[in-house]
Amino acid sequence: MSADPRLRSRAQQQQQAAAVPPPPPPPMEPQPQPMGMDGANDAPAGQKDAVVDRFNLKFCTVCASNQNRSMEAHLQLASANLPTISFGTGSLVRLPGPSVDEPNVYRFNSTTYEAIHNELAQQNTQLYTANGLLNMLGRNLTIKRFPERFQDWVPGKPRLDHEGDKGAHGTEAGVVDVVITCEERCFDAVLDDLHNKGGKLNRPVHVFNVDIRDNHQEALVGGKAILDLALSLNEAAGKERDIHGDNGWDRGSGSARGGFDERVPEIVAAWQERWPNLPALWSLAWV
Amino acid sequence: MHPSLEQLENARSLALGDGRYYSTIVPGVMPIIGVQAPDTTSIEVRRWGADFLAETFASPTWAPEEKARLALTVLETLKLYLDTVQDRGVIKSAIQAAASIYPLVYRHIVSDRNDSHHWQLMLAIKSNILRQMDSAPSGVRICCVKFVQQVVLVQTPSVVDPRRSDPNDISLNLVPRDHPLMPYTSLEAEGQGLLDRLLGIIHGDHSDALLVTAVLNSLGTLIQRRPAVANKILTSVFNFNPLKLANAPMTSKNKVMMKSIERTTRSLLVNVIKRNPENPNNGRIHQFLETMHQRGRAALDETNRKRPAPVEPTDGLDPSKRMRLAAQPPGAGPSAAPAGPPPVAPLPPGPVSYRQLYTLNAEGNKAAFDVQMFQDPEQLLRILVPVLQSIDEVKLGHAINAVRSRYLALSKAAPNAAPAPATAPDDEDEYEPDFEPEDAEQVVNRLDGLSSTDNFPIPAAPLAPYKLPEVPPLTQQEVQVYGNLAVRQAFEMLAVAEEKEKSKTSKGGFNRLAASDFGRDAWITILSRLATRASAGLDDPDEGIKDEFVQEHAKGSLAISETVREGLLEYVMKDWKKRLDIAISWLNEEWYNDTVMAESARMAAKANNVNGNASRVVTHAPKSNYQTWALRLLDRIIVIVEYTDKILLRLLSEMPALDHEILRRIKKMAEDPERIDLACMVLQYLYMFRPPVRDLVVEVLTELWRENDRAKPSAAKWLNRWNPAVLQEEANGTAGNGGEVKMENGVGKESANGAFGVKAAL
Repeated sequence: MSADPRLRSRAQQQQQAAAVPPPPPPPMEPQPQPMGMDGANDAPAGQKDAVVDRFNLKFCTVCASNQNRSMEAHLQLASANLPTISFGTGSLVRLPGPSVDEPNVYRFNSTTYEAIHNELAQQNTQLYTANGLLNMLGRNLTIKRFPERFQDWVPGKPRLDHEGDKGAHGTEAGVVDVVITCEERCFDAVLDDLHNKGGKLNRPVHVFNVDIRDNHQEALVGGKAILDLALSLNEAAGKERDIHGDNGWDRGSGSARGGFDERVPEIVAAWQERWPNLPALWSLAWV
Repeated sequence: MHPSLEQLENARSLALGDGRYYSTIVPGVMPIIGVQAPDTTSIEVRRWGADFLAETFASPTWAPEEKARLALTVLETLKLYLDTVQDRGVIKSAIQAAASIYPLVYRHIVSDRNDSHHWQLMLAIKSNILRQMDSAPSGVRICCVKFVQQVVLVQTPSVVDPRRSDPNDISLNLVPRDHPLMPYTSLEAEGQGLLDRLLGIIHGDHSDALLVTAVLNSLGTLIQRRPAVANKILTSVFNFNPLKLANAPMTSKNKVMMKSIERTTRSLLVNVIKRNPENPNNGRIHQFLETMHQRGRAALDETNRKRPAPVEPTDGLDPSKRMRLAAQPPGAGPSAAPAGPPPVAPLPPGPVSYRQLYTLNAEGNKAAFDVQMFQDPEQLLRILVPVLQSIDEVKLGHAINAVRSRYLALSKAAPNAAPAPATAPDDEDEYEPDFEPEDAEQVVNRLDGLSSTDNFPIPAAPLAPYKLPEVPPLTQQEVQVYGNLAVRQAFEMLAVAEEKEKSKTSKGGFNRLAASDFGRDAWITILSRLATRASAGLDDPDEGIKDEFVQEHAKGSLAISETVREGLLEYVMKDWKKRLDIAISWLNEEWYNDTVMAESARMAAKANNVNGNASRVVTHAPKSNYQTWALRLLDRIIVIVEYTDKILLRLLSEMPALDHEILRRIKKMAEDPERIDLACMVLQYLYMFRPPVRDLVVEVLTELWRENDRAKPSAAKWLNRWNPAVLQEEANGTAGNGGEVKMENGVGKESANGAFGVKAAL
């Protein structure tokens, strides 16, 4: 992760920096539509929101440490009422430390965001406020308890113990329909790990990569892009549920008639044209 | 929500909470979602049912045996879904469920050779799915692909090495040759045929990247778990062109699909390398990956740079297309090289290897000619010299010109082209820390022209026999860790057994065998005997003698007992009042073992005595584990005991042996004024009901009386009864020898004596 601070958060954090160590920042108000700081993209996803009680795909966001990009996307998807879980594919949670060669390293699945927040606040409040880490961790601890490792995820194992997480509603069964990674390395790690897991559930899962640079600003933009992709996919999946009966369920011709899975490539292509700076990849894998 | 859906959803969340409920919930919901349900059942319920079945039989939270039993009961429902329900969601989920169920039913039929009813149902489902695989929309076909993968998995033989066999791995190996319902050979043939169908998909039309990636992602498991077909699959993948779409118009959809297929192929192959680093195919995989990478770049760069160029030349220039035009007269495409009498094929776009640069006739057999075939340089010389002599000078001149002009054209393009290959490794580094194509190898590959770009020679030989890597020996530390883990697990199990036993109260009394069932008591007996007896007699009698090696050895052999003892102690201390019986039986075991050991030591001493070697042995009597652990236990309990805990009486009275050291702990306890009464009560009880230790009790009580002023009144009460002489003595010696005991406590003595004086006066 680069030390590129999130400008907005810097402004917010400046008052808090006085208190040593500061309490975890108050939960950020859910922002289905984050401030358009980039101003570059008027995504059609702008005002859309997944309708509750309608058929919803289940999403999973993945980055290296389950801290910045995947968590930003997790928050945005969950705030749009999409069932979401998130993971990291690294061997350990790595956060920037006092210098480039001294990263702060934590274990996955056990160290809570709160513990990390407290430790960093104690270590150097000034530094970690300035580079936005404390703000990020403060956001994360309102989303779920601790970073999780993708490779340790057992698909199909119920996640009832994650009930309090944002976006947990709908993910109780521990399966997802869509995995969105934030970096090609993670995309490869996910495909590789799914080979290792062996596809025991016989359940198809669409794996996407949206290449996002690892800094706060890009994560925010990337999160919007992922939300856009997710809503497009969800809409297509919802339409498939509407088609029923003799009027064409088994006729694959005609893209409008096509089911959800068939339409994915064209959805990605259309999405890619809307977000030309975030190169995308996609594969149909098995969990 | 539909009212019955709500109920169904409640049932489902119950099962999600605990997988064991599935075996009761599945039969419960089947009447609502299954064949028995009325035809008017809404599509929502059917969808829910199909999803539920897919989820249920995939769930890792319940036992495969139970799943297999219930799988038979849902077959008819699945068949109904597949045959009659016209809904994509239902069909997809039903196929997923079928993919999970097929191996279970397969194994059931293997063991129950007469159950043709269920097998027929399963076969009907299978043929329905296989039919769909050709005609259905791709979204359904991908589910069929996964089903077919499962069929291939169970209908091909698994590894023969029994060390690696997994009892849960369902494969063709399970099927006996004479099974009435499952003819071995036709199952095998069908498996092979279906695998061919799967592989056919990746060689087919790539405009449906969904299917292609679905197949590629399902091959990993097959390669890993079925080495018998791994070679066939890899060969097929090597002959597969992930960049087929480069020929099609480069729409953004095609671009995404091409990149996705390439990336998925790459993931599959990298996974193969990672999982088996010794695979003889790995060299070829590396080569394939690299070629694919270069060509992928070329294709994408080409389209990026030359998009406005006319479509036709792009086609003609494309390397993959060119491979397929072998029959066409060479030079049909627009030629980039100067046209000489022998027409020269143009260079492919993008980065070019030296081999490509010098190869003028890519279609000819000579392009694939490998000079390394000649092992013997002499033989090579014999052939080469006449060949060189026979060369037509004119032809050679043309060829040199052709290469020269190619080279010139390339060096003109170099400013553009050069950076591309140079940045390739950098780009890789950024995203692929796990897989870096080695630069040296790249260069060698480019230069030596070992392979043609597209087709790799694949030997027909089967994979080399798999050798299990040697397990590294456990370090001392690991042994310790795993040992401790085992002990901890034993105690965890104990806690579970205890819970189960709460209802049972009957005790066998004396008329039973120790450790005859799986109950808590049995485990306690086993554990405590393990702790006490397992290493009995193993400790070195020469323990006192300094010898590094011996000491280390002795430590190692006893560590396990000590670990178990620690475990027992902790287990008791977690709830000492309830587990006092465990403590007592454990201490009894310790005492018994000590006694036995002492006995045998005595015998040994006797024997040694004869040899005139007695002195040392006698001084090293076996150390008393009982003493050590009884004291540790008491020390732990004394700290937390309350003055109301009369259960301490029971512990002290049932401990197999008491000595001064142990009773001193009671004295210690009495230093807390609140617990003085408890201490006295213990001593009183022991005096009354354990005559052998009476003297000891009186002794301790005397000490208590002397040393502890606050305990004096209570102690005096009993001393007065059991050994008034002491009191008398004390009273007499108040001024004299009584001070010997508590010189330092003069003031207290005064007042205490005063109190005693009052008592005595009463």
